[in-house]
Amino acid sequence: MSRLAQHKTSPITKREVRIGDAQDEVCPVCKSSRYLTPSLRFLINPECYHKMCESCVDRIFSHGPAQCPIPGCRKTLRKARFRAQRFEDLQVEREVDIRRRVAAVFNRREEEFETLHDYNNYLNEVEDITFNLINQIDIEETNRRFEEYEKMHEQEILENASLEEREKVAFRDAKKAERDLAKERRDLARKEEEEEKKEAEENKRDVLNRLAAGQDAEKVTKQGQQVTLKKRMDRQAAAERQRLLHLSDARNGSSSLIRGLKAKVKAEPEAPIDPFGGLKVETKYFSVQDDYVWAGVQETKADVLMGAGGYDVREFTTRALCDAFSGLGVFIGEDSAERERIGVDEKAVGTITAERGVKRMEAAS
Amino acid sequence: MATSPALDVPPEGPPFKRLKTGSNGVSTASSPAPSHMADLAEQVDAQERQKYIKGRKLGSGQYADVYSAHLVSDPTQLVAIKKIKVGAEAKEFGISYDSLREIKFLQELDHPNIIKLYAVFSTKSQNLNLVLEQLPQGDLLKLIQDTSNITYTPADIKSWMLMLMRATHFCHANYVLHRDIKPNNLLIASDGSIKLADFGLARSFADPFQKMTYNTVTIWYRPPELFFQAQYYGGKVDVWSCGCVFAELVARDVMFRAWPENEINMVKMICDKIGTPTEDNWPGVSKMKGYVTPTEVVPLRPKEHWMAQFRAVGETGVDLLMKMLLLDPRKRLSAEEVLKHPFWTAEPRPSRLEDLPRKGGGMEVMGEDLKRRGGEIPNGGGAGGRGDKVARKIDFGAMK
Repeated sequence: MSRLAQHKTSPITKREVRIGDAQDEVCPVCKSSRYLTPSLRFLINPECYHKMCESCVDRIFSHGPAQCPIPGCRKTLRKARFRAQRFEDLQVEREVDIRRRVAAVFNRREEEFETLHDYNNYLNEVEDITFNLINQIDIEETNRRFEEYEKMHEQEILENASLEEREKVAFRDAKKAERDLAKERRDLARKEEEEEKKEAEENKRDVLNRLAAGQDAEKVTKQGQQVTLKKRMDRQAAAERQRLLHLSDARNGSSSLIRGLKAKVKAEPEAPIDPFGGLKVETKYFSVQDDYVWAGVQETKADVLMGAGGYDVREFTTRALCDAFSGLGVFIGEDSAERERIGVDEKAVGTITAERGVKRMEAAS
Repeated sequence: MATSPALDVPPEGPPFKRLKTGSNGVSTASSPAPSHMADLAEQVDAQERQKYIKGRKLGSGQYADVYSAHLVSDPTQLVAIKKIKVGAEAKEFGISYDSLREIKFLQELDHPNIIKLYAVFSTKSQNLNLVLEQLPQGDLLKLIQDTSNITYTPADIKSWMLMLMRATHFCHANYVLHRDIKPNNLLIASDGSIKLADFGLARSFADPFQKMTYNTVTIWYRPPELFFQAQYYGGKVDVWSCGCVFAELVARDVMFRAWPENEINMVKMICDKIGTPTEDNWPGVSKMKGYVTPTEVVPLRPKEHWMAQFRAVGETGVDLLMKMLLLDPRKRLSAEEVLKHPFWTAEPRPSRLEDLPRKGGGMEVMGEDLKRRGGEIPNGGGAGGRGDKVARKIDFGAMK
């Protein structure tokens, strides 16, 4: 094996070791190494992210806030804020902390925005702030914006946070219920198996007993086999039923592959209301005029009692015209063509409309 | 057209003469018509009659009995059969006006919000049977009155009113006046839609100078021009009734519940709730026969007054209601204008049929409604029904 190959494997073995637990690590403050003190634990403080061992933290910060012991760093640190390191790279550790802090404040949800575009703009803004905080760009201005937002939207932030908490709890509960159900199912299956075994044994014993009692050997074995077969068939039927039940469960979405997806109901856009319900009253062969120079119409219009009673002469003129022109919609050619198409017994039914009426009634009833 | 003015329907023609036999049960075969003709008519009649199997009786009244029935060919297809009893009019003219009107108009009108008449046949005892659509969910009146169990929203009201107005507009577009629109003539179908029923008082639009009766429409839903004995009127009478139904749906009480229900009290009530009709707001009203010069004039009620009572349907709804209940029929909206009003397209959107409350009483209510004769005030609304108008018992026990 070449040296190069050996070198390649080393980072992998290193990653397997818990973060911060590397054998060769040395505390930058007291210089004690893990080799000498196996219980060595390193802590960091999110003020400056300088690493030091637990005993140094105890020693320096037990009596209250003190300056960071690393040369050149003048940050004042408190013991309470020291914690174990999560990531090997301290830059990553710091970035994650900042992101967490920002996410706790900028916790708006997509459904709060009118359009996806707005939501994306918001996300972009948040990312800008985060980026500035991480890379220390324009830090004062960014901090000011951050605090301003926090102060302005205090209530909303709280609400969203509690909403998230509730969702988490609900999710956890759902998970737990699912696990319980699965366990129950497993128990049931196990029990069934045991019963099956017991039954088989009993059957065997029964056959033996009957043979011992001196019954016909062939008949007894055959019967025993039949009993076993029948029981097995019953069980198979039950299993099939169970399977179908589970399938229908799955179809209802109770155990699909991806969980926690929002159930999307596709609301069909409703057509605008048509007050007339599709009814169109139109005149094909004539258009009604507002006035007609006929004595009957004029006298009606002039009559006080007619007017006061609400009699509208236009209703009359429209109707008269409609009556006069109604015959024009009927074409003998069309009518006889349809007569042939429907196949009317001409002797039985007088008109095509009557026939159609009869058919419609039959269809409706 | 020569008409008996009070009854509106001309006792026209031969087709009905056939039914004009005595109530002694003598069959049409004894009529002077050629026997093969009578046979054919009877055959067709029997053929139609044998298509249905009569079931339970749903209701029974002075005027008609209503039965549930189904088709012989398909027992799942239910219908209602309204069996009209032979009355005094039938003896004189061969058929009663109510049933004649009902058959005449229903067989012509085919609309989703109007009850369907499938067939007509007669039985041996000269009873007329109308085969109607079965509407098992009761009527709108029961829904309105059942305040403890049923709640509905303004969207439901809009949906019902829209169906009613479509039916009314359809009638008017076909030159038919219904003249008896009221909540218990609005039956509820199994899908939740409402259907206009009881065309017993309907008539077609009149020609100029052809007189019509003013003694029509159930009194609480009767428009003011009919109280002033107008003999020439048009579709606006139905719009007034629709307006009363609208107001009743919102307030869950009859808009003009005059008690005792006579014309004078009704006019007083209308004056009180809408305003006194004068020459200013209704030109020509003082010339009308039944007009009484008022002693005190109530000015027309302003919109705020209406808003206080009918706020539930919003400002556009109140605007529409006011325009449907205008005193002057010329200014009152026509059915078409009502449908063009912005109310229907404004928020909220009318409820879908499947979301509407149904339980308007069930089959028995349909039986009750169909057996009744036009113009009667339903029982349970405070009125004693038709019986107490026909004869009054004198209570001697109360005298000392």
